Amino acid sequence: MRPLTPQRILGTCLGLCGVLFAVAVISLRMGAYPISVRDIVSTLFEAAAGRREEVPVEFWQVVFGLRLPRIALGILVGASLSTAGAGFQALLRNPLADPYVLGVSSGAALGAIVSLIVAPHTVGAIQIAAFIGAASTIAAVYFLGRRGGQLDSPTLLLAGIVAASFLSAIIMFLLTMVTGSELRSIAFWLMGDLTAPPPTTNVLGWLGFLFFVFILAAGAMYTTSSDLNLILTGEQEAKHLGVNVNRVKFVVYIAASVLTGLAVSVSGAIGYVGLLVPHVMRMLFGTDYRMLIPTAAIGGAIAIVLADTLARTVVAPTELPVGAMTALAGAPVFIYLMRRRMR
Amino acid sequence: MSRSASLYSRGFFIGAFTRAARQIVLVILFLAFCLANYTGAAAAQAPTYKRGMKFVTDETGRRMAIPFSVQHVVTLAPDLTETVYALGLGDKLVGDTSFCDTPPAAKLKPHVGSPQTPNLEAIVAMHPDLVLATTSINRAETADALLRLGIPVFTSDPHTVRGMLDSIARMADLIGAHEQGTALVAQLQSRLDAVHARIAELPLVHALFVVWEDPLITIGQNTFIADALRWAGAESVIVANQNWPQVSMEEVVRLQPDYILFTANHSESNKDHELNRLRAQPAWKALRAIQMGRVVRVDDEITKPSPGLVGAIEQIAHELHPEVFSSDGRGEGFEHRTGVRMEFSANIRQERECDFCGL
Amino acid sequence: MSSGAGSGALALPQPVRVGASTSPVRLKVEQASYAYAATDRSAPKFTLGPASFEAQQRELLAILGPNASGKSTMLKLLAGLLKPLSGRIEVDGVEVSELDLKMRAQKIALVAQESELLFPLRVWEYVLQGRYPYGRRLRFESDEDCLLAGNALAQVGADALRDRWMDQLSGGEKQRVILARALAQQPSLLLLDEPTQHLDIGGKVELLRRLRRLADENRYTVIVVTHELNLAAEFSDRIVLLHKGKCPRIGTPAEVYERELLEEVFEAPLEVESGYSGRPRVILRATR
Repeated sequence: MRPLTPQRILGTCLGLCGVLFAVAVISLRMGAYPISVRDIVSTLFEAAAGRREEVPVEFWQVVFGLRLPRIALGILVGASLSTAGAGFQALLRNPLADPYVLGVSSGAALGAIVSLIVAPHTVGAIQIAAFIGAASTIAAVYFLGRRGGQLDSPTLLLAGIVAASFLSAIIMFLLTMVTGSELRSIAFWLMGDLTAPPPTTNVLGWLGFLFFVFILAAGAMYTTSSDLNLILTGEQEAKHLGVNVNRVKFVVYIAASVLTGLAVSVSGAIGYVGLLVPHVMRMLFGTDYRMLIPTAAIGGAIAIVLADTLARTVVAPTELPVGAMTALAGAPVFIYLMRRRMR
Repeated sequence: MSRSASLYSRGFFIGAFTRAARQIVLVILFLAFCLANYTGAAAAQAPTYKRGMKFVTDETGRRMAIPFSVQHVVTLAPDLTETVYALGLGDKLVGDTSFCDTPPAAKLKPHVGSPQTPNLEAIVAMHPDLVLATTSINRAETADALLRLGIPVFTSDPHTVRGMLDSIARMADLIGAHEQGTALVAQLQSRLDAVHARIAELPLVHALFVVWEDPLITIGQNTFIADALRWAGAESVIVANQNWPQVSMEEVVRLQPDYILFTANHSESNKDHELNRLRAQPAWKALRAIQMGRVVRVDDEITKPSPGLVGAIEQIAHELHPEVFSSDGRGEGFEHRTGVRMEFSANIRQERECDFCGL
Repeated sequence: MSSGAGSGALALPQPVRVGASTSPVRLKVEQASYAYAATDRSAPKFTLGPASFEAQQRELLAILGPNASGKSTMLKLLAGLLKPLSGRIEVDGVEVSELDLKMRAQKIALVAQESELLFPLRVWEYVLQGRYPYGRRLRFESDEDCLLAGNALAQVGADALRDRWMDQLSGGEKQRVILARALAQQPSLLLLDEPTQHLDIGGKVELLRRLRRLADENRYTVIVVTHELNLAAEFSDRIVLLHKGKCPRIGTPAEVYERELLEEVFEAPLEVESGYSGRPRVILRATR
């Protein structure tokens, strides 16, 4: 009998962070612009020392303008989607649940499309509109998914599917009314795009804000991880053991939806990560949610950074959308996982 | 309710642990915000004005600083590449897209990728003084991203043929080729005027311009293709505000256009075969224009707001109003009306991304 | 608690806590009643009670009755899931429905129908979850928790199953493990809702023997909701008979098992005999 200890969780997370760091470093090194590791390192040092003038303009452009924001965004999006996926799998008691099953991404997409039609050149309009779309969908599905005043998993799932279909229909309608350039932007946004420019010039501040929201939401979900372990053996049983099931469901729903909305408004809909990373982490580290939530977050970050690196180097100079890469890699993994379960 | 010492102390430990974790997180966030504000401020001071640069507003309303002397140009669309070469500035072109093939020399230039997803790092690696983009094929995000890096991007937004000529003149000015620009525009304008002079008195031919066969997609009245057709003496039978409206064959049959216009790609493909094929299809058979063989293969250039567009206008005008042009034999490229060589390729999408077509 | 924390492997802890009531009466039901109605203003469709009874330490009480007699409602009242419309239900002197969720879980362990497990889980992890009511929300199990969980497993004789996967257990083994988790809660009251439903006769007997042992040796108060007449008669100390929401009789098996009463309650031709062990036996009368 070896119960989970905080030390074991921390140790595993540190190990995974090491892997993430390595992957990020490799990703930083790869790209069409010829820059050596030495130059990258010296650019970082000069930046830390505040000596921006010492760095050639192009090095700065490539490292801080192109590669680092992309990697940072990849980490954020991957962590958000995986954590949200783990949360939804527990909330809906369904191992096939992913962050999009409750329609949040369709809401965000609708918001983004409306903003592209209404305010195409306003910087940052897409992100804000997408987030508003996501938030509205979260609220609507919450109220539809209740039964007897409490969140009921099958009802919630139905409400989410209905919302997703309805929103998709509206999106289709709008797409027919949209001209060529907007259509292009929407298509790329829908496939997942980590290169979208941030809404402000203060890139680090923006990234910091996003990470702050991530930590709030993921942290809130983490506080319910003991409860989730119990709920997974049965809601009634959990209630008899003293778990406030309604409160836990509410917190997990809001936290997971916020994480999904965050990821989708920033980079469009990237699939498979929220579904598969929690399962892989379960296979590696067990089903205890106190371990699963942090490992899924870091695992998701690793997955997206890897996928993005491949997406921009495999068919250089053309860049594949990240969503295409995760789908390509994700489908075989999904099949493998399903066969293991059958055994 | 009291507990044993070990349980209570373990609870205490957890409490201390989470408190410490919370404090560490807050400290990290505080540091992140400080760092953010510092480097963010530094980034905001990215040099937007240096000696030897002028402020310019492009056709989408974006403002940027462009050096007085532009030596390295990168183009992000085939029509822009064509314009640059037409201005005689092929030497200044350091990079174009993998779709740029007119003139053939453009294929040998270093590529940055496709017009829709150019590789930003590749562009940076070419050290461009100016990047040219167009709203007809490039994404706004590309231009925004390059501007954020401090690379000036001039995006043209062509809707009419006249507008296209103005864009060419403006771009020529920016690259420091004012005389070539004026000369090119004057030449193109005179050719247009020549065509206009011949056909100004004639009624407009009602035509259907087919962008895609199935689903049937044609052009809207705000596209430059529609404007080009008007210059050539034709008018689209479909009036729509969308750029690429999808229409039903029934509507087309009801309107019975006088001519059907198809685009072709550059490779030669079956000619009479295509006309026979269309004649065999029940949907197209009902059109008088098909029955009478009034089908025109239009040069690809009609889809690009570039100097070649004028040649395409001339070609169409010749086809549709042969009676006023019969004295000019323009030789190659223009089909005589009776021996209609219909060249139509259904492979447009495979050859080139059809970004005009609804997704 | 000191005996539990410091001693060796199989020291069975007393389920009595310092500060709790030391009187033997664990459960006291006083004139408790409940009613279901379609709406607030229409007449109640089903009324339970008022009922009064007590249960003591080391007692196995059976709540017996046919279907729709109000057994599950009674169980929910005892577990604090429903608040009685009148009267009181107290466990260890405290009104049950006023306890917060965790305190209630420390006092009452309810073993009901199990749900399907979503992800694979080991037996010891499952039993360890029974320690949830003790400690903070996000908690990590202490050594003491592990010890108590191990003891719970021993009490049900499932120690050898410790490292097995839950979905590889047989029906009977799973029953034992679920019981162990309930015991890990260190409850004053152990409630079981029709626990013999899916077991064969051997399993039923084994389970009730175990419950009997838990009551006698480990001083739990066990309340079993059932409709099995003979098992209840054989193993329980007292029986609460329910019929259409009313309590026609409360007492020892011998007192409760009266032919006319049972025939009226269960609506079947029955015969009551004296069994081998001195307890009553119920058999079907010939129905030809």
